[in-house]
Amino acid sequence: MTQFLQATVNGLLQGGLLALVAVGFSLVWGVMNIVNLAHGAFVLIGSYIAWKLQTGADIAPLLGMVVAAAALFAGGYVIQRYLINLVINAPIWMTLLLTFGLSLVLVNGLVLLFTGDFRSIHTSYGSDSLAIGDIRIPYGRLIAFVLAVGFTLALVWFMDRTRLGLAIKATGMDRGAARLMGVTVRRVYGLTFAIAAGLAGAAGAIYGTVDTFSPANAGIFTLQSFVIAVLGGLGNMWGALAGGLLLGVVQAWSGQYLGGTLINAVAFAVLVTVLVIRPAGLLGKPYYEARVEV
Amino acid sequence: MSTLTDPTRPAFTRPRAGYGPHGARVNREEALMRDVRPVGVWLGLACTVAVLVGGCGKGEGNAGGGGGSSTQGGTLKVGAALSLTGSLAKEGRLTKLGYQFCQDKVNGGDGVQAGDKTYKLAITYKDDKSEPDTAAQLVDQFNDSGNKLILGPYGSPSTEAASAVIERNGQVMVDSSGADNAIFDKGYRNTFAVLSPATSYLAAIVDAISENANPKPKTVAIISADDGFSKTAAKGGADEAKKQGMQVVAMEEVPEHTTNVSSALTKIRPKKPDLVLVSAHVEEGIAAVKQSKELGVNPKGFGETVAPPTPDFAKALGKNAEGVVGSTQWTADSKGQDKVFGTAKEYAEGFKQRFGETAEYHSAEAAAACLALVMGVEKAGSTDPAKVRDAIAGLDTESFFGPIKFDDTGKNADKPMSAIQIQNGEPVTIYPSDQAQAKLQWPAG
Repeated sequence: MTQFLQATVNGLLQGGLLALVAVGFSLVWGVMNIVNLAHGAFVLIGSYIAWKLQTGADIAPLLGMVVAAAALFAGGYVIQRYLINLVINAPIWMTLLLTFGLSLVLVNGLVLLFTGDFRSIHTSYGSDSLAIGDIRIPYGRLIAFVLAVGFTLALVWFMDRTRLGLAIKATGMDRGAARLMGVTVRRVYGLTFAIAAGLAGAAGAIYGTVDTFSPANAGIFTLQSFVIAVLGGLGNMWGALAGGLLLGVVQAWSGQYLGGTLINAVAFAVLVTVLVIRPAGLLGKPYYEARVEV
Repeated sequence: MSTLTDPTRPAFTRPRAGYGPHGARVNREEALMRDVRPVGVWLGLACTVAVLVGGCGKGEGNAGGGGGSSTQGGTLKVGAALSLTGSLAKEGRLTKLGYQFCQDKVNGGDGVQAGDKTYKLAITYKDDKSEPDTAAQLVDQFNDSGNKLILGPYGSPSTEAASAVIERNGQVMVDSSGADNAIFDKGYRNTFAVLSPATSYLAAIVDAISENANPKPKTVAIISADDGFSKTAAKGGADEAKKQGMQVVAMEEVPEHTTNVSSALTKIRPKKPDLVLVSAHVEEGIAAVKQSKELGVNPKGFGETVAPPTPDFAKALGKNAEGVVGSTQWTADSKGQDKVFGTAKEYAEGFKQRFGETAEYHSAEAAAACLALVMGVEKAGSTDPAKVRDAIAGLDTESFFGPIKFDDTGKNADKPMSAIQIQNGEPVTIYPSDQAQAKLQWPAG
């Protein structure tokens, strides 16, 4: 029983972090219909910014996270406005190619700047944990989890309660109607991409405090984001959270009971099963599929 | 502003793959017609920049040449497919430094003396993106351009893939980092490895701890990544532990290159092993130590195959790295010397002077592979690949890397492994005893 509970705790903590990594990816896909293959690179850039600030200027990782998020927000807006926008109306494979190319440039840029060495952001609480009976809850991962879930909930609030959030959702549902209602689609798209990139930057900084990273992680982040976004339902922030937690717990349980080699196979089996039963994802809404874009 | 750059302007119904009747074919084609040129320009630009930044396909400049081509005062052309990008970019870079250092030392000295001719060594690098299939293709491309002499890619999977192509093409490869015994079980004749085989990685750690630890650990848990090299090394470690009278209480596998090994640790924790051995790469190795602390897995010591000697292990783990034992193909205290690099210490000093980095074993094994190839050509007195192959097979010499003598399968079977321990943030040699710079600290950390 202890092992089951420990595995579940491990899975939930990891899942919360995965959710934050994926939430921006899901937002961009849901609203703009762009599968951003450079998302993993954005996450990594966040990790490197926080790491560099800590090792170079002794800036605390949490402050580094804010800087990383702000830098990625600005960078994301510029990239959307001057690069992604060029292919916004093109067939989806054009955006796939463009974001794939962008990912190559960014990842190889990171290799040139920082080499392929593995890095980690040290924290004073990094190896301590809260013991409840035989269950251990590592402080570092707990803080990462709380921040990750907090950011995701803040995004849910922002999307549901603010004018800009509603404009983003409206644009995602029906671009033509949104335009007729006075929404400046160009600006909304820029901000959506910027928010997603900013969240990726924050996720990267948090990830760096609990795990190791190198430029090679970009592809893994993107793949995990893809799985979580599809699992949870596109464009739905609750969906990203649910998808992340489910993936984390499924991976932990399968590692515990089936052996390490099968972790990824089981994760994808769960994805396929969910899609067979609910094609729009766990919490996906049909209108994202049926929307009209004019 | 063009139509393309302005999403606010009504455009066309975007075809959406897989979503029913929306997006008729005519619209898709129309979209393509309208989009393809400017988008193509941007994509072309992005791809060009990607290639430039990635440093892929570094200028070959050797077209028409090859291992077989030889003119007086000419160049000895050698090919190397390396992981310059991708998941093994770090190790690939270190391997490249070793090859470069060898080239510099050889060309700065007497060059390669084959018969009455002197050659300059010229190594051409291609990026295999850390993918074994690509490494094999690149070795084939080297063959197409006449390069018959090859230095190995990084890692067992790529080396194994390349060795099949080498055999088929009649090329000759000296392997610098493919240690998996599976590479040598296939009966290939043209692949030679300067390094000790995979089975000796964990076994050396077990021996080092068994010989020096007091009290000697009684129980061992082993975590292995699920790739061929790591599994072979784990089995070698388990066999040696049993031989030394220890009880192996758990053997767990984790996915290769994962940074989350919490499941394996959760299973190991109730068994309270005295020693946790990790047969994996750098990222799993770092994760195992870090997450052990988080999850309250507290053995008397850790032993890990390839991670501890790499400089970023101690950097990434900080104080948690203290006391971790690692095995290494080479240290600056290794015995032996040769005419190109001198002793291990002289190699280390020269390397530091050349690159400003502390010499470690990835680059040392690469330099040793290059040295074996050069020695083979010199012994053969020719650049003919068949003659070079036979000459390498007959090498029996000392080097800064230790003895170089290949058995029938191409392994450098007699070369001893060393063990190091992280003490005060630095790896120090603790085994074998005649090379030890410090005593094993036990319990560790």
